[in-house]
Amino acid sequence: MTPTQLIRSFVSSRKWSYLLAIVAIGAAEFFQVQIPHILGGFIDRLKLVGATEHVILHFALELVVVAAVFVLAFGFGQTQIGRLGRHMEYEMRQVLFQHWETLSSRYFQQHSVGDLLNHTLNDVTSVRQAMSMGMNQLSQAIFLFAATLYMSIQTINLRLTLFSLIPILFIPVVIAVIRPHVRMRSRLVQEGLSDMSELAEESFQAIRLIKATSNEPVEVNRFRQLTETIVERQMSLVRLNTLFQALIPLLSGIGFSIGLVYGGWLVVHHQISLGAFVAFTVYLTMLVQPLMQFGMVINLLQNASASVLRIQVLLAVEPDIKDPEAPVVKPWAGDLNVSNLTFYYPSSKEPVLKNVSFTVPKGTTLGIVGRTGAGKTTLLNLILRDYDPPEGTVFYDGADIRDMRLEDLRNQIAYVPQDGFLFSTTIGANIAFSQPEVIPEHVEKAASRSRIWDAIQEMPEGIETQIGERGIMLSGGQRQRTSIARALIKSEANLLILDDSLSAVDTRTETEILQALRQVRGEKTAIIAAHRLSALRDADWIIVLDKGEIVESGVHNDLIRKNGIYADLYRIQTGGEAHG
Amino acid sequence: MASADWDDDKREAKVSNSKDAMSHLLRYGRRHTKEFLVVVGLVLIYILTQVLQPWLVKIVIDKDLIVKHPHFRSILEIGILYLGVTIIGLFANFTQNRKLQWIGQRIVRDIRNDLFTHIESLSMRFFDTRETGRLITNVSSDTNNVSQFFTSFLLSLIQDGMSVLLIMGAMLLLNWKIALFSFLVIPVIVLISVGFRTKLRDNYRFTRSQFSRLIGYTAENLGGMRITQIFHQEQKQLDRHTELNKRYTSGNINEYKWSVLFNRTFSILGNLAVAMMMWLGGEAVLHRSIQVGVLYAFITYIQQFFNPINSLTQNWNTLQASMISAERIGGVLLTEPEIKDSPEPIALPVQPDTQTVDLRGEVAFNHVSFGYSPEKLILKDIDFRIAPKSFVGFVGETGAGKSTLMGLLTRFYDIQQGSITVDGMDIRDFRQQDLHKVMAIVQQEVNLFSGTVADNIRLFREDISDEAVIEAAKIAGADEFIRAMPGGYESWIRAKGANLSLGQRQLLAFARALTLSPKILILDEATASLDSATEMILQRGLTRIAAGRTTLVIAHRLSTIRQADVIFVMDQGRIVERGNHEALMAKGGYYADLVNKSAPNADELIEGSV
Repeated sequence: MTPTQLIRSFVSSRKWSYLLAIVAIGAAEFFQVQIPHILGGFIDRLKLVGATEHVILHFALELVVVAAVFVLAFGFGQTQIGRLGRHMEYEMRQVLFQHWETLSSRYFQQHSVGDLLNHTLNDVTSVRQAMSMGMNQLSQAIFLFAATLYMSIQTINLRLTLFSLIPILFIPVVIAVIRPHVRMRSRLVQEGLSDMSELAEESFQAIRLIKATSNEPVEVNRFRQLTETIVERQMSLVRLNTLFQALIPLLSGIGFSIGLVYGGWLVVHHQISLGAFVAFTVYLTMLVQPLMQFGMVINLLQNASASVLRIQVLLAVEPDIKDPEAPVVKPWAGDLNVSNLTFYYPSSKEPVLKNVSFTVPKGTTLGIVGRTGAGKTTLLNLILRDYDPPEGTVFYDGADIRDMRLEDLRNQIAYVPQDGFLFSTTIGANIAFSQPEVIPEHVEKAASRSRIWDAIQEMPEGIETQIGERGIMLSGGQRQRTSIARALIKSEANLLILDDSLSAVDTRTETEILQALRQVRGEKTAIIAAHRLSALRDADWIIVLDKGEIVESGVHNDLIRKNGIYADLYRIQTGGEAHG
Repeated sequence: MASADWDDDKREAKVSNSKDAMSHLLRYGRRHTKEFLVVVGLVLIYILTQVLQPWLVKIVIDKDLIVKHPHFRSILEIGILYLGVTIIGLFANFTQNRKLQWIGQRIVRDIRNDLFTHIESLSMRFFDTRETGRLITNVSSDTNNVSQFFTSFLLSLIQDGMSVLLIMGAMLLLNWKIALFSFLVIPVIVLISVGFRTKLRDNYRFTRSQFSRLIGYTAENLGGMRITQIFHQEQKQLDRHTELNKRYTSGNINEYKWSVLFNRTFSILGNLAVAMMMWLGGEAVLHRSIQVGVLYAFITYIQQFFNPINSLTQNWNTLQASMISAERIGGVLLTEPEIKDSPEPIALPVQPDTQTVDLRGEVAFNHVSFGYSPEKLILKDIDFRIAPKSFVGFVGETGAGKSTLMGLLTRFYDIQQGSITVDGMDIRDFRQQDLHKVMAIVQQEVNLFSGTVADNIRLFREDISDEAVIEAAKIAGADEFIRAMPGGYESWIRAKGANLSLGQRQLLAFARALTLSPKILILDEATASLDSATEMILQRGLTRIAAGRTTLVIAHRLSTIRQADVIFVMDQGRIVERGNHEALMAKGGYYADLVNKSAPNADELIEGSV
């Protein structure tokens, strides 16, 4: 659904609420413009002989009643529109989030989180502003402007109104012209401020380095330059703002002076009454407001239409990994077979993987080694269908994984990512991420296997402990062990994939985790990719990837004897003393 | 989390007396006293013109319109006068605004600069106990809040306070009896305004916090979408999003309703005031005690009460925010650096020909004991001497005290017992600046700064030329990958960006250390997973940069220090073994045990060495 359709369907499904709100605002403005009229009538009546206390009280009460009706009706309409606008904001956010959930990794690699967040931070907000503040101001401005104009022409004087109005009519023009510049300059100020915060952050985080190199004066100097820039930008914003703030009262002041002189002249020549003159000065002040609002509404609409366009582009993106139309559905066991897999990333001409073939029978463990960039992670991601492999290359239990439902495939896989990404919730909820609810016994079992249970027990609130953004409260090794537990708790999965997931744990823990994994071997098929060869000591078969090709394969002893890349790696890692 | 923050605030507030802090910061304003006076003068002019406007209309009504034979000429005069007054007022306000902002911006700049300079001068222990995030807030938003005290609060106090007073004055002049009656409206406005203000602020804060939770959640999920999809938990994550979104939306609607309620209350109150004026003033006109024009002026004036009083209460909040911020900033500014230079420092020996530091680089720890708190010692009786230009390694489990040891050599902390010397001179006798000129450190986690690659190597120092940078990069082995980057040495890197691999960061840090040509190099080796090829490149770089200087390496991979002159093995704050690799292996102690454990496959190794 495009955002325009979204807005249209939202509004049409609530058209009566909107109509009611707009009618209320119209009615409110009708009452509001009566106020100066009452005031004018009151002044004229005072001048007449025979005015009594009773008459005065009558006028005062009339004013109170009219004002009360105005305030109530206006408040109602305003609240209604504001509330509706916020409900629409809610729905837009839901639509965006749901849409993002359907998009695949490729999309998230191409877009930075910051850019995507701007949609939900700025674009959605600016659409809401147009829909609530904009609509409020527009309906108020239209009704108020029309009603005021009507009243002052009808009850006072056409020419007086027109002459005084001339300078005031420039107000929306001034606003529409200057406001975008104000916004641009204030963005510059914001950028300056965020540069400054960034510098402070980098500097404080690197304080050891800075102190150890006595680099403090250099840092202070850099900081000073930024604060100086901020002052300059702030002042350029201030100059424009003050000009803007002076222009509007100036224009209305000119209008008022004209009204004063011409209105006075009309009273002198008995063309209007004194009461009408007083009422007119009030109308004139009232006219300034809707005219300012017209200017602002123009800005709001400009912003919102740009935002709608950006959201439209975002929502138009189609997920590139889809379920097949006729999926293979059967009970799954855990045989993996890759045959002749050659894979190119869309942007590059060089293949990342060339003719890769191997078989991992149910219950066995495959080890994958290779340098950074050899294609290990790409290979694993294709098995996960993070990216789509070419047709007829990756088979699970004999079925092309592209013919499986994505949900089925992923239910089969227990995956441990390289970076050990965790969510900022409790450690228990992270481990039980794949489960509908957190069952402490299950968490304990998985956590014990991945050697994180002892650490969890030492935490202040056990499995209920919050681990902060991306698991910041945990050490690198703890994060990896937690994400291993998260994979292990998926007992229904038949294929375990570890993407270099033991790199940040010390060798002793690694040994323990591998021992624990040995327990699940036999039931589960496993693929372990690693830099450190010690992590592969349990592998039934090892393949060595180099530049996307399998260059060696076999069991550990054979590979050492071959004296190739594997043996080289082994030598580097043991410190140079390996013999076959 | 939130409650902890709060406690922290209170603690800070206690540490620094809030009046002290505020008066400390007021000093920044005192520099601009004269300019402030000009501003006050201009504000006065502006307010006068504002109060004069209804008065002029009143004159028109009473002198010219209501009389039997109205006189147009004087209306024209007053009309022109009105325009003149308006223009003068606007000009005064315009100038005042610019001047005041100019003062405020300079104040905030000065506070920021001083604060940053001061923070940079503080000792390591200060940074250990503060969150970086908190310090950044001090520098960016707290300073801004304080400057609002000058630009917003003071201005409002002068401008709004003066408006209220002048309006009251004008009313009293017109008719003191009616004026006194109208003043009754003032406490009502104040009460309503103050009452609403608290509610509005609470609502605002609540909505803000709900919003940032929603955004934080979205950000995190965008980052971890892959995990959500692989674990097939889209629905669960969406449910949580829905929950947060609902909470934010209802908070936002509630906030909006209250602000509408507040504004409408004010507008009905304004109309009530006018009605009251009609009644009071109308009677007065009837009894001939005032003229119609005076009534007009009264009706206008009574409406003019609302804005300044509302703005005053609003600025009361600004004052509170500035006070809290002032306390925080004051707390930091009043913190003294814990480690101070000796009053009579030793001058750094300099070679007369080359103007370079003339030290051999001999490092000695003499029976050093240290704990971050005195009762809990981390290092116990550490005693060793490192010959100039030698290469030594420190090994041991996490928490053995290796990194602490290095922090002592750089004098990030002062030791409780013993002494640390460089070329036989106690490091406490050097100026810290000088001591740090002798050393360089390469840390596990390489800090990057937003800037070019070259600037990251030279740490933005202008005295280090491009040639020196390239030379250093070549020796460290970083030249190759830097040249392969799209902009070469001028490529832009971001501190948080991931456009450099771990290995590349390490090489960059090596080059950085080299440009400083230290006599003593301290290196905390990276633990994170590096692929073996990168490891070899780093190893080679390390050997090259270590040449010709005393090098202390905290080794996480034992292969790094296999060739070291001496290896110190640490356990629980003590040195338990020392000697070179062969000697230590032969000894079959703690070190030999560590080496055996780290082999890829313990069984294989034994098998292999047979």
